[in-house]
Amino acid sequence: MKLSGRIALVTGGSRGIGRAVCEVLAAEGAAVAVNYRASKSGADEVVEAITAAGGKAVAVAGDVAEYAQAEAMVAETIEQLGGLHMLVNNAGISKDALIYNMDPEDWLAVMRINFGGVFNCTKASLGHFMSQRDGAIVNVSSMMGDRGWTGESNYAASKGAINAFTRCAAVELARFGVRVNAVLPGFAPTELVAGLLEKDGGKGILKQIPLKTFASVEEVAHVVAFLAGPDSSYMTGSLVTVDGGVGSMLGVGAPL
Amino acid sequence: MAITETEAFTAVQEAVVGALGVDDDEATPDATLMDELGAESIDLLDILFRIERSTGIKIQATDLSTYIQGGISDEEFSDDNEIISERGLEQLKKVMPQIDADTLRGNLEADHVISLFTVQNLADMVVQRADGA
Repeated sequence: MKLSGRIALVTGGSRGIGRAVCEVLAAEGAAVAVNYRASKSGADEVVEAITAAGGKAVAVAGDVAEYAQAEAMVAETIEQLGGLHMLVNNAGISKDALIYNMDPEDWLAVMRINFGGVFNCTKASLGHFMSQRDGAIVNVSSMMGDRGWTGESNYAASKGAINAFTRCAAVELARFGVRVNAVLPGFAPTELVAGLLEKDGGKGILKQIPLKTFASVEEVAHVVAFLAGPDSSYMTGSLVTVDGGVGSMLGVGAPL
Repeated sequence: MAITETEAFTAVQEAVVGALGVDDDEATPDATLMDELGAESIDLLDILFRIERSTGIKIQATDLSTYIQGGISDEEFSDDNEIISERGLEQLKKVMPQIDADTLRGNLEADHVISLFTVQNLADMVVQRADGA
């Protein structure tokens, strides 16, 4: 198992992509701290599932938008699991609205959790990673950070910020033995994007995806595990798309 | 956690060589980290983390100025034009004995002090930290 002896903290690990990341990392031998903010029962379920499969996991409470809580999460992970080597910044929310209608508070709320969470947890982990000269950070971004979509300006901006931060952090931290990469999922049917898929079960979107399926959360999680693990040792500052080909298109062209 | 002067110098020299990519014969005791060896803030951070790894002695970048200033208040350390005072020069002679106080008297700016800090000065600080810990 490629991640034996390694320890991970996954923010927003109780559901969606985060949950899949926890389970894939654990299946590769890592001990996993499953962070949650609101969904304690969800995090406990993930811990139980990992433990039942023979892995090691603990649930760690904390709001990534608050720096002091990010610090506490990192400290708790190190205390409970005996170290930290991988940080997966996955926690995210959406508050979709047309810009014309959007409450000004709504861009800030999304930014504080999505980008603020990446900043806070990265900063909180750095002292540990830098002193051991070993750390891999994977930020769960989105294709929305690179492209536009009606109603997602705040979410897209937060992901664009994550992409820029990923590049800068990679450049700054490389010499300290810390790698920083991001995954950019296209459309994965989680609660987060439920609104997009409401109208026709997502058929309209599906027609625009070259691979003709939505991403499963496991498909995203496997790329995260790759970027967090030893097989990507020469990768840093990479923004890796996991989008079924969506980002490669100039336009839909003839109906696919 | 005692450390000999030789051990401290070796640890600092290795850290400087590793972080700055300079040769051993450049990272001499008298070489100034910023001015002569060209260390920037990220290099200094790298040097300090390398020292921590090899010696277990943790020094923060902000500790450097505290160490250099030796507990003297900003008002006493330098005058209204940010020029180091006589009291300040006395303190600097303790932690940076190589400086020529007569040449620097009346024209050493507070911001410039750190640029006079040498490889040996950092090694001395490591020894002092180890004794204090």
